[in-house]
Amino acid sequence: MKMAKWSMVLISSMMLASALSACGNGNNETSSSSTNETSGTNASATEPAAAEEAVTLKFWSALDPSSDQGKTIQQKVKEFDDSHDKINIDLQVISYDVLHDKLVAAINAGDAPDISWGLGEWFGEFNKLDALADLTDAFNAWPEKDKIYPNVLEAMQVDGKLKALPNYLGIRALLYHEELLKQGGLTEPPKTWDELLNAAQSFKEKTGKEIFGIAGAGVRSPQELIMYLAQNDVVLAEKQADGKFKNTWLDNPDQLAKAAEVFRFYQDLVAKNAVKADARTWGWEEEDQNFVLGQYAMVVNGTWIEGRASENPEGMKDVKIAQPIYGGKPATFMEIAPLFIYKSKHPEETFELATFLMGADYQKAVNPSSAPRTDVVSEGWGKQFMALAEQGIAYPAVSLGGITKAMEDSLALALLKKEKPEDVATQLSDAINDSLKKNGELSGS
Amino acid sequence: MLTLREKRARRIAIAFIVPALLFFLLLNAFPLGQVLWDSFQLKNLLNKAENGFAGLANYAEVVKAEYFMTALKNTVIWTVLSVAGEYALGLVSAIALNQNVIGRTIFRGIIIIPWVVPIVIAGMTWTWMLTPDYGILNIWMVKLGIIDQPYYWLGELNTALLTVVFVNIWRSFPFFTISLLAGLQSVSRDMIEAAAIDGAGVRRRFWHIVLPQLKTVSLTIIFIHIIWTAVNFDFIWVMTEGGPLHSSETLPIMIYRYAMQEYNFGQASALASMMLGFMVAGFVLYYFYATRKNRG
Repeated sequence: MKMAKWSMVLISSMMLASALSACGNGNNETSSSSTNETSGTNASATEPAAAEEAVTLKFWSALDPSSDQGKTIQQKVKEFDDSHDKINIDLQVISYDVLHDKLVAAINAGDAPDISWGLGEWFGEFNKLDALADLTDAFNAWPEKDKIYPNVLEAMQVDGKLKALPNYLGIRALLYHEELLKQGGLTEPPKTWDELLNAAQSFKEKTGKEIFGIAGAGVRSPQELIMYLAQNDVVLAEKQADGKFKNTWLDNPDQLAKAAEVFRFYQDLVAKNAVKADARTWGWEEEDQNFVLGQYAMVVNGTWIEGRASENPEGMKDVKIAQPIYGGKPATFMEIAPLFIYKSKHPEETFELATFLMGADYQKAVNPSSAPRTDVVSEGWGKQFMALAEQGIAYPAVSLGGITKAMEDSLALALLKKEKPEDVATQLSDAINDSLKKNGELSGS
Repeated sequence: MLTLREKRARRIAIAFIVPALLFFLLLNAFPLGQVLWDSFQLKNLLNKAENGFAGLANYAEVVKAEYFMTALKNTVIWTVLSVAGEYALGLVSAIALNQNVIGRTIFRGIIIIPWVVPIVIAGMTWTWMLTPDYGILNIWMVKLGIIDQPYYWLGELNTALLTVVFVNIWRSFPFFTISLLAGLQSVSRDMIEAAAIDGAGVRRRFWHIVLPQLKTVSLTIIFIHIIWTAVNFDFIWVMTEGGPLHSSETLPIMIYRYAMQEYNFGQASALASMMLGFMVAGFVLYYFYATRKNRG
């Protein structure tokens, strides 16, 4: 009976201990081996002497393991792992849908990975969370530093300090179905907003399809909006003398008018049947899918569309690339997907991995059409996209969560509620400054 | 004075209770207490300069937020319509499956399928089917003459929330079906036959004999589903992310935005505490109403 009682206590304790152990910090500073089924990385388990001193770097990546690119990345990371006795890579695959929230939780729990993929929209936030390492000195000592596009590096800096590295670029260009345009009576795509709007109705009558596509909602809609604002010489938030930011549209009637013009352009696109009415709330999925299926003629989009050709090879054969249609001046959105390097206990090893990931060999294999290096540019799509790199604009380095949501709301106000463009621009200006104020980033606050 | 045997039984009971108690304290009580505490603190992870006791400032900010009333109204619509629809459909299907029809065992098995489909899969599949340009439902509705042209059910201000409600009802009604079917099978056949002999028609037998006997199981599943539905986040997030223009945004979506997009855990906690308060108040009011009614 006594035995039975002690057995029960023991079992209860073991259950509790095992359950609680799952909540613990799994960050091993040193590791004798690193196995990871997802990555296929299996580090130096056969070399115990070397492995005793080895460090394990946690690397969170949003690669797609089912794609050729994803498999290449896993293979390359394994090559790095195998060639470095003292560095083991714990590669974890986490989709972009959940990566942001997991990183935020990990950063706040003091358990961030050493290095991760990410989106440019998160840069300002992670910097404000004081999670990112200062890479300035390490980068300046890197022999290949001059191979990175200067404007890309500039976007990764805060107050002169380099706080992230570029992983790949998502430069946007105008993609168009050449045959569909010809059916609509156009031998080449329109160059300006006015040309686009003037051609829209006639194109619709001739083809029964719309000439253009937009994303009115979701993560891509602010990316398109910031591009059109830049084309009209308007910026979301300007850095002020005190080092903080401010949206200055309400201080400058000319800027407010230019911002309002952008929202009027969006409204005209719908009114003149240049875009489908549903595009007012399309996300990126609908925008991409409808273009791939040839449901409309032109879209401002990224190189990834090339990979969708297999879904509609016949319809995608005629897709050509041009400069995005512009208002006042040519500009395009340049999505810089960063490599975030966190305040790690192993800064040197982490930077070594980062330079491998930015190296020419890795970038040629993984991102031939979207590398952040001037010396890795593939023929065809890659070359034409990279030709637009110099006119690329990115988000300001501020916390963007509230700002991108406000931008999305502003498009809904213009397109769904049909509010006056001037009112929409005013509301967006207020919302941007409110968001900056909440985060302590508003100039003068 | 406890006997030795009783003392031993008590010690064993405590040994079994302690792990559960620890789990409760660590995983329920502590986070709940932390949320309540944070709701009175200035806690913005992006602005650590502002910290300390906030009083009721977080609550005031949340209530003043532009889309708070919209989210509150949407939460009520979402919860009431979902649970009402699930109950109605669950009751009808349970009654149908309680009849002696050929293949009813197969139907009973099939009807549970929507319930076992993961919410993300169900949400994405329905989103795909509802797409205006290549969604199968729009194509069918146009061919059947129900609508003139494809309609963007999830993209329009006036239909987005109702469409998600419809999909939620589709997914959750099997839970009601199974529970109510179990209740129906426990209704005394003798009593129904006796009523029939006394001249009670089908409707009278249903309203006065069957339905009263389903009261306990009905209240249980309705209360459970009010809680589950009101706090549901994933279905709406997967299908609309609360859009367009907050037209399908409920309070849990708003909490998520405060916490994970604005990193303002003070305001997120205030809204979460308010939501907890709404739920508790609702159930307390019902408890007093039911108690008074029973006394009467």
